[in-house]
Amino acid sequence: MFTLRALRNWLVWVGLPMGGGLIVAFLARFLLPVNFPFLISIDMGFSGIVFGMSIRNPWLVGFLFGFFATLLILSLRWWDRRHIAQTQTLYADYLQKERENRRDFMRRLDHEIKNPLTGLRAALVNLKEGKTEEERLQAVGNANRAVGRLIRLLTDLRKLSELEERTIERYPVNVPELLEDVATAARVNPAYEKREINLLIPKVPSPFPLITGDPDLLLLAVYNLVENALKFTSENDSIEVRLLEDGRAIIIEVADTGPGIPPEDLPKIFEELYRGSNARSTEGSGLGLALVNRIAALHGGGVGVRSSQTDPRGTVFTLRLPRR
Amino acid sequence: MSHDRPTLLLADDDPTIADSLAPFLERAGFHVLVVSDGASALDKAQKHRPDLIILDVLMPRMDGRETLRRLRKAGLWTPTILLTQVGEASERALALEEGADDYLNKPFDPHELLARVRAVLRRARPGERSLSTAWLLTAENLVLDRRARRAALDGKPLELTPKALAVLEHLMTHPNEAVSRDHLLEVVWGWEYPAGTRTVDTRVAELRRALNDDPAEPRFIETISGEGYRFIATVRGEG
Repeated sequence: MFTLRALRNWLVWVGLPMGGGLIVAFLARFLLPVNFPFLISIDMGFSGIVFGMSIRNPWLVGFLFGFFATLLILSLRWWDRRHIAQTQTLYADYLQKERENRRDFMRRLDHEIKNPLTGLRAALVNLKEGKTEEERLQAVGNANRAVGRLIRLLTDLRKLSELEERTIERYPVNVPELLEDVATAARVNPAYEKREINLLIPKVPSPFPLITGDPDLLLLAVYNLVENALKFTSENDSIEVRLLEDGRAIIIEVADTGPGIPPEDLPKIFEELYRGSNARSTEGSGLGLALVNRIAALHGGGVGVRSSQTDPRGTVFTLRLPRR
Repeated sequence: MSHDRPTLLLADDDPTIADSLAPFLERAGFHVLVVSDGASALDKAQKHRPDLIILDVLMPRMDGRETLRRLRKAGLWTPTILLTQVGEASERALALEEGADDYLNKPFDPHELLARVRAVLRRARPGERSLSTAWLLTAENLVLDRRARRAALDGKPLELTPKALAVLEHLMTHPNEAVSRDHLLEVVWGWEYPAGTRTVDTRVAELRRALNDDPAEPRFIETISGEGYRFIATVRGEG
C-alpha cells in the first residue's frame, strides 16, 4: 500500500540510514588515514568463516558503520518516544480518573451540605412561625441537630486532609488493650448502651505480639468500624470483634449479623462520602470508612470487607496491620 | 471610659458571627466592643484598654496573628483568645508563639467561648504576662521548656511522648483549674472523637509514671472524678 505514511516510514527507516552510511563513508575516507584498522575490513563473523567472506572495501565498511549506527540511533529514539507516549496515556487516564473522583466527591459533598442546611432553614421558619413553646423548642432541637451534622462532616473532612500530610507517630501498641478501650468507649455512648459487643482475643501466644503504630489513629480506625457495625444493626443482632495474627500481620475483624451490604456497593464503600443504597438515612459523615482506609494505609496495612445479604447473613470488616 | 462590667474587644470580620456573639456576650454581663479588622482592633485595644481581646485569625487589613504580635510588642499584655480556623497542631504552636492566652477552634459553641473568657479573666493578673505566654514553666522540681519541647525533673530530662508533653504543657499553663478530658482532647489532639477520653487517661498515666506522681496523693496532677484533671502545684513562668 502506498500512502504518505508508508513513504515517510521508508524514508525514515531506509533513507536516513543510507544517508548516514554515505556521510560516514565519505567522512571516514577523507578524515581517517588510509590504513586505519577498523576501516580496512569487516570479518563477517560466522558467515565469514563458512563462506570465506569479509568486506575489504573501505567505502563499503564506512557505509555499513554509518548505516547501522543511524539505524541504532533511530531505533532508540523510536523506543523512547513510544515509552513517553505510553506514560502520557497512563497519566491522561489517571487525570481523567482523578477528575471523575473529584466530580463525584463534589457532588456528594454538595448533597451532604444541602441536606442539613435545608433542615436548618425549615427549623428557623418553624422557630419564627411556631405558635407554641413546644413547637419552638422542637425547632431549636432540629436546628441543633442539623448544625451538629455539618460540624461532624467538617471535622471528618479535616481529619482526612490532616492524615494526608501528617507523619504518623510510631509507638508499640498493645492491640488487646486497644480493643478493650474501643468496646468500653462504644458502651459509654448512650445510643448503644444496651448493645453487646463480643471481644474474641486469643490467649495464646501470650502476651499478644505488639505492633508499631499510632495508638490514637488505630483506636479511631477500630472505633469507626465498631460504630459502623452498631449503626447498621439492631438490638437483636450480634457484633463480634476478633483478633488474630498470622506471624507477619495482626488481623482485626469486626463482624455483625446485620442486613449486609449490596454487592454493587461493596467496591465503593471506602470512597469518601459514598453512601450505599441502605445507608442513605443513617447518621454519620460518610467519611468513617474512608478514614479507616487511610489509617490502615498509613500503617502499611489494609482494610477489606466481605458481606452477604442472604444466609449466612452479615458483614465482616478486616483490618490488617503488619507486625514490625 | 469606665464600666463596672469587664470590657471585651471582639474582632471578627464576619458580621454573621460578630452580630450574634456580641449580644450573647452582653447578656452574659460583659461590655462588648466590636471591630471588623486587625488594624482597628489594635487601635481600640490601645485606646480603650479592654480586659480581654477575642481575635479572629483571618481578618482583612491585618490578620489576628500580626495584630497580637504588635500588641505584645507595644507592651500590652491584655489577655487574648485567638479564634483559629483549623485545629492543626502547628496552628496551636503559633498561637503560643504570638502570645495568645487561649484559643478556640471555629465552629465553637458560644457557651464554650464564654467559659474560656471567664477562665482567662480569672487567671489574668492585670498588667502581667500570663503563664500561657511564658516559654519556661517551673513547678517545684519540675521544669518545662516549651521552646525546646523538653521537661526535666530534678534536672534530669524526662522521656515523654509528644502528646504527653502537650498534656503537661496545657495543665501547667492552667494551674488550679479543672480541665476536662474533652477539652484536653481538643487542645492536644486537635479533634474530638468518642473513644478519645480514654486516650487522655493513657497519656496522663504516662505523665504520672514519669513524674513519679501518686494518683492517691498527687503532688502535680490531681484527678477530679467525673470532671477531669487539675495541676495542683504552683507554677512560675519565665521568658
